Amino acid sequence: MKTLLINTVLAISLLAGAPALAQEKPLKVGMSGQYFPFTFVEQDEIKGFEVDIMDALGKEMGRDIQYETANFSGLFGMLQSGRIDTVANQITITDERQKAYIFSEPYVYDGAQVVTKKGNTEVESVEDLKGKTVAVNLGSNFEALLKELPYADQINIKTYESNLERDTALGRVDAFVMDRVSASQIIKEKPLPLELAGPTFSQITNANPFHDTEEGRALRDEVNQALATLREDGTLASISEKWFGTDITQP
Amino acid sequence: MDVLNVEYMLGLVPVLLRYLPLTLQLAGIGMVLALILACLFAVVRVLRIPVLNQLTIVFISFFRGTPLLVQLFLFYYGLPQLFSALTVIDGITATIMGLTMHFSAYMAESIRAAIVGVDRSQTEAALSIGMTNGQLMRRVVLPQATRVALPTLMNYFIDMIKATSLAFTLGVTELMGATQKEAAGSFLYFEAFIVAAIMYWIVVELLSKLQNYLETRLNKAYNR
Repeated sequence: MKTLLINTVLAISLLAGAPALAQEKPLKVGMSGQYFPFTFVEQDEIKGFEVDIMDALGKEMGRDIQYETANFSGLFGMLQSGRIDTVANQITITDERQKAYIFSEPYVYDGAQVVTKKGNTEVESVEDLKGKTVAVNLGSNFEALLKELPYADQINIKTYESNLERDTALGRVDAFVMDRVSASQIIKEKPLPLELAGPTFSQITNANPFHDTEEGRALRDEVNQALATLREDGTLASISEKWFGTDITQP
Repeated sequence: MDVLNVEYMLGLVPVLLRYLPLTLQLAGIGMVLALILACLFAVVRVLRIPVLNQLTIVFISFFRGTPLLVQLFLFYYGLPQLFSALTVIDGITATIMGLTMHFSAYMAESIRAAIVGVDRSQTEAALSIGMTNGQLMRRVVLPQATRVALPTLMNYFIDMIKATSLAFTLGVTELMGATQKEAAGSFLYFEAFIVAAIMYWIVVELLSKLQNYLETRLNKAYNR
C-alpha cells in the first residue's frame, strides 16, 4: 500500500515534469504569480518585475532560477519547510521577519498607499480610514502598518488571499492598502475604476529573505554581490524603468 | 458593465487545458487510494476487529472533523517542522495524501452503511445453503452493497475533483492555480473563472453520465 502510494506518486511527479537534477543547484524562488506587475502570468508564462530581477541575478550568479508559485499564504511555509530558497514577491523587511530570516540588500524602495474606488470623496488620505473597512492581502505587511496607526482600533481590516482590487472597485470595501508602485500600475493598466487616495504613509523596503543557516547565508551573500553588480551597471534601474517608468530600486 | 472579452476567454482555453490533466490525476489517484482505504476501514468497522476498530474510529473522527485545508497545511508545512526529512514530500504527494485520508473517512462510512444495509435475511439464506464467509461477501453482500454505495461514492469523487482546487496553496499549479494566476495578470476575473468553471462542469457532467450508465447496469437485476 505504502509502496504503491510512493510509486504512483513518483510516476505522477515525473509526468508532471519534476525538475531534472542539474549539476549547478538552481536557486528555488517562491512567488505568488498573482501580484501585478511584480509577478503574474500571461498565457502560461510567468512575468513581472521580480521575474526580471531574479533572471538577471541568476545570470550574474551563473545559476538557474527555478520558480515555484503558490498562494501568498503558502510562500513563507514553503520557505520555512526548506522547499524554496527565498521568496521574490515584494517582501517587505520587517522586525518580525528579521527574527526568523536574514534579508538580502533591499532592491525596492516604496511607500504604503491607500486606494479607493474612483469618485470616493469620503476617503482621501490615510486619516480618513477611521471607521472604514479596508482590504489588505493576507500575510502582507500592510495589515501590520495599519495596526500601528493611532486610530487602528477604528479601522475594520479585511484580509484577502487575492482579488482585493476587484472588491474595492465593486464597493464591497471602502479602500485597500498596497504599495504605491503596484497600486499606480494597477490603476494605469487595468480596467478597474480605482484611484490613489492621498500620499504614501510609510516607507517600505523590499528584499529577499533567506534561511539563517550556513547555506542560507552563503546564498544571501551571493545574491548581494550580484545585486551590487547589477545596481552598478544599471540593470536594476533599467528593469525598474521597464515596468514602472521610474527607478524604484534607489532610496 | 464592461463587454465580455470573448477573445481572451478563447485564448485561455488551451492554456488552462494543460492543467486539467494534473487536476484529474490528483483526483483520480486520490479516489483509487481512498476507495481502497475506505473499504478496509468499512470491513474493520463492520466486523468490529478489536483495536483496529477503535483506531479507525479515531481516524475517521479526525479526518471528518477537520477541514481539508487544515489537513493539507498540516502535512505540507506542519510535519516538516517536526521532522525535517519530511520535506521530501512534494506538493503533489501531500495533496494526494490529504485527499485520500480526508475522503476515505467519509467514504468508509457510506460503504459501511451500504454493507450493513443489505438485508440480514440475505446473509442467513447464503449461510444456510453452505456458503463460506468469503463467498457470502463476494457473491451476496458486496454486489448489493455496491449498488447502494455507488451514487454516494460518485458524489465524493465529484467533490474530490473540486477539492483539488486547494492544491495551489501547496504550490501545485492545477486548473484553479493556473486560472488564479492568469486572472491576476489580466484582471479579467469573470472571463478567467468562467472558463475554469465550465471546464470543471464538463468533467463532472461526463462523470454523471458514467454514473448513470453504471447504475443502469447494476440495477438490471431489479428491472422487470
